[in-house]
Amino acid sequence: MPRKKKKKPLYRRLLPYLLVLACALLAVGAVYTVFLDFQVRERFEGARWTLPAKVYAQPIELYVGQSISRHRLTDSLERQGYRQLANTPRPGSFSRQGSSVNIHSRAFTFWDGAQAAERFRVSFNGDRISGMRSLDRETDIPLQRLEPMLIGSIYPTQGEDRILVKLGDVPPMLPAGLIIVEDRQFMEHHGVSPKGILRAAIANAKAGRVVQGGSTITQQLVKNFYLNNDQTLVRKGKEAIMAILLDAHYAKENILEAYLNEVYLGQDGGRAIHGFGLGSYFYFRKPLEELQPEELALLVGMVKGPSYYNPRRFPDRARKRRNLVLEMFRDAGFLNDAETTRAQNEPLGVSRGSSRSTTQYPAFIDLVKKQLKGHYRDSDLTEEGLRVFTTLDPFVQETLEEQVSSGVEQLERRGDVEKKSLQAAAVVTSIENGRVLGLVGGRDASYAGFNRALDAQRQIGSLMKPVVYLTALENPSKYSLVTPVDDSPLQVRQPNGDIWEPENYDRRSHGTHVPLYQALVHSYNLATSRLALEVGLPRVVENLKALGYPGEPMAVPSLALGAVEMSPLEVAQIYNTLAGGGYQTPLLAIQAVTTREGEPLSRYSLKTRRAVNEQSVYLLNWAMQRVVREGTARSAYNRLPSQLNLAGKTGTSNDLRDSWFAGYSGDAVAVVWVGRDDNKPGKLAGASGALPLWSGIMAEIGPRSFDPPRPEGLEVRELLLGDDRFRGSRGPNSVGGRDCSRAVKVPFVEDYVPDGLIDCSEQEERGAYDESVTSPEERRDEDDSNWLRDLFR
Amino acid sequence: MNLLRLVSASLLLAMLAACATPSRYPPPQRMPPPSDSSGAPAPWPASGESRPDAEPGAGSVAPEPEPEGPPPPRTVAEASGPAVVALLGQADTKAREGQPEQAAAYVERAVAVEPRNPFIFQRLAALRLDQGEPEQAEAMARKSNSLAGDNPYVRAGNWKLIAEARQMRGDAAGAAEARSRSQVYLSQTRGR
Repeated sequence: MPRKKKKKPLYRRLLPYLLVLACALLAVGAVYTVFLDFQVRERFEGARWTLPAKVYAQPIELYVGQSISRHRLTDSLERQGYRQLANTPRPGSFSRQGSSVNIHSRAFTFWDGAQAAERFRVSFNGDRISGMRSLDRETDIPLQRLEPMLIGSIYPTQGEDRILVKLGDVPPMLPAGLIIVEDRQFMEHHGVSPKGILRAAIANAKAGRVVQGGSTITQQLVKNFYLNNDQTLVRKGKEAIMAILLDAHYAKENILEAYLNEVYLGQDGGRAIHGFGLGSYFYFRKPLEELQPEELALLVGMVKGPSYYNPRRFPDRARKRRNLVLEMFRDAGFLNDAETTRAQNEPLGVSRGSSRSTTQYPAFIDLVKKQLKGHYRDSDLTEEGLRVFTTLDPFVQETLEEQVSSGVEQLERRGDVEKKSLQAAAVVTSIENGRVLGLVGGRDASYAGFNRALDAQRQIGSLMKPVVYLTALENPSKYSLVTPVDDSPLQVRQPNGDIWEPENYDRRSHGTHVPLYQALVHSYNLATSRLALEVGLPRVVENLKALGYPGEPMAVPSLALGAVEMSPLEVAQIYNTLAGGGYQTPLLAIQAVTTREGEPLSRYSLKTRRAVNEQSVYLLNWAMQRVVREGTARSAYNRLPSQLNLAGKTGTSNDLRDSWFAGYSGDAVAVVWVGRDDNKPGKLAGASGALPLWSGIMAEIGPRSFDPPRPEGLEVRELLLGDDRFRGSRGPNSVGGRDCSRAVKVPFVEDYVPDGLIDCSEQEERGAYDESVTSPEERRDEDDSNWLRDLFR
Repeated sequence: MNLLRLVSASLLLAMLAACATPSRYPPPQRMPPPSDSSGAPAPWPASGESRPDAEPGAGSVAPEPEPEGPPPPRTVAEASGPAVVALLGQADTKAREGQPEQAAAYVERAVAVEPRNPFIFQRLAALRLDQGEPEQAEAMARKSNSLAGDNPYVRAGNWKLIAEARQMRGDAAGAAEARSRSQVYLSQTRGR
């Protein structure tokens, strides 16, 4: 303000001319007051605040038959700030009744309309919901959606965030308490309170330090609203004039309501927490209307110094202040003695979150912002108070965060891994509707830094192999799951003259007749490279793109072994298509966006596309289940129950720089990457680094078994594989002297079942191995049939 | 202003949708009632090598209905839990009111409840067809087929939807082929 700089020296230097100037100053003062009056009115009557977009998680949907434990349900309710109270008297409360839970949900305006608060009972049978009943209407209800959890805001890098509240909607103890604590004369004074200033001066003089401020609520509002933080006499004067003007123009109620929404209550990184509406969510994760006396007292007490009384950093200080405020509430008659004592004994009740930053799930919010980009301008997102409904599942997200951070620490306990050297990223998606349920961008999920799940481009290694085998299996006249593939050493001369010479992980060849699925199950590099060259690299690239990879990888031989860089999210898209039976559903982080009032602006609908042949994907998924059952990922079953079917693939890049695991259950895909930011070797293979984290995540989220429906045109044969071929038996399961009790069901494309298999699915032998095999037309050449005879002899 | 544009665009879309083809709701009984006359499964058109764009079912014979075991569900009510039935009922109401996107949102909630229920994807296919989106309609119907196992009721309905979607796109030959596939499954349902 140039005015101040000019006036200060003038006033001092021209002291002798004071009398002359008095008149002039009076005139200037009058003009200035008119100017201030204009300022006061313009700001107070216009749009007072810009409002950052509010981001919500996916709402919890409760329904009969749902697999969810009582414990997990009450955990989720508590995460959303529900209180356990007898008889669920108000929204945001629940109670346990024997084996059932009574819930009083909160009213909420969803993108598809308003939903009223509802009292209902959820009954359990084991870990399953067996029934739900409305307690208001006494009718059974098939499903009930809870209001979604508020998980964050989209605000500019430095900025204010708030949720507006109306004076009539807040607990009466809040405004009344503010008046008691901050400005007892508020209802009587005219914006400034000489009595208050005098009392403060006396109190400060007695104490020898500043213990009371003389500012009225009106002055505090003016200070926050119109002025900067300078502690000058001029500013004080300006503040007083504006407070008087404000008080003259507007009702006390309007001033108080503005104060409720303006007051500063804390800092969250670059985000300033303003107003009691947001303050309530920021500290207690629930709406202001539900706050209890001790919680209101904490917030009211914090007005005096939000950083000094920060309950997360200085809980003792905050508690003392809260209890003092509670005593003031008691003295004012809001609480009786017993209520005051009870409230003073309550814990602070502040939701967890580090003191550094409490923005939840920054990596996921980052993804949301990216998906919104192009649809909305930055200013729409940071100023219009839009409501963004996302796909985040808070339970999955928190499981992911815990498992990643504890899993990485566990890995670093190994002797040869450098402490604090590893980083990690993970994504969980729901298969059939392509929703991103959780996303972690680093080992410390609360740190909003480099988002590895989205932005780290790392070599995927053997995660590429399923695409090669899928491409082979698309041609059933040439390849079935048991077709022999050649794992002998190979050299390829590249166009630039270099020789490419891949090696197996164990640095040896496994012969020239490895059954195709075995080469994937044990992740053989030589066999996979030969296969990729046989089917043609351009076809492999085509399939990679069909599965959902947006890039343009080079069709070079090393691509077969994963010489392509991807982010964990890109990998999740590809594996989600495989898990979805070959249907690509674009991964979504957002379901809908509405205006502040709830008018729908856009909806992100479920889309799908048939990306690859269903039959080939089914065959591939059979092999990928065996990766977990008996192959490179079998240690997953150390953590997971053996009756659960899972499919997946390990990935390790050159020199153990990247450790990957990507896999799925019947309803969720999870992708985990572990490595170092400096791209030095992390010394972990896919099975030793990412897989334990993946198994932990899957075990915690409680997946459904992966049992894909079998497409038409496939048939299943019960075959003896591996060493079982050589085990003789004369028992009831014996076929041709072989023990069929260990036969494995292998799917084949109809009409392309190779002959010469030891088939336990028929009573007699099919293609007798001990007789000369008649060579059918589909047979590739005489050499293969000889091999089949050898293999199954 | 961007927001205004978005609002007006979505309003316009909603109006257009309301004027579009009459809604197909209440859900037509796409599946014929089971009859006692037993018809033998018709031969399946043989297709050659299985390529990505090939139809599923490369075999030479239609999958035989398995006489043993419970019959497959014929309707969404038979196939689904009460939550899905309720959600699809609400979707029908929205579709009848000329709010297909709201209807789709209900159906998508049903997908989250029973992600492998082929009837739900069939409903999405029908909705997309109503909205004049034949590509999404066909993709959803085929997705439904991929989850249908050996349920001829679902498959017959899906191929009928695919035929309509192809007709809408002007692919008469493709539509005829889809219709004949639908007939094959219809005859199987009569066999039950």
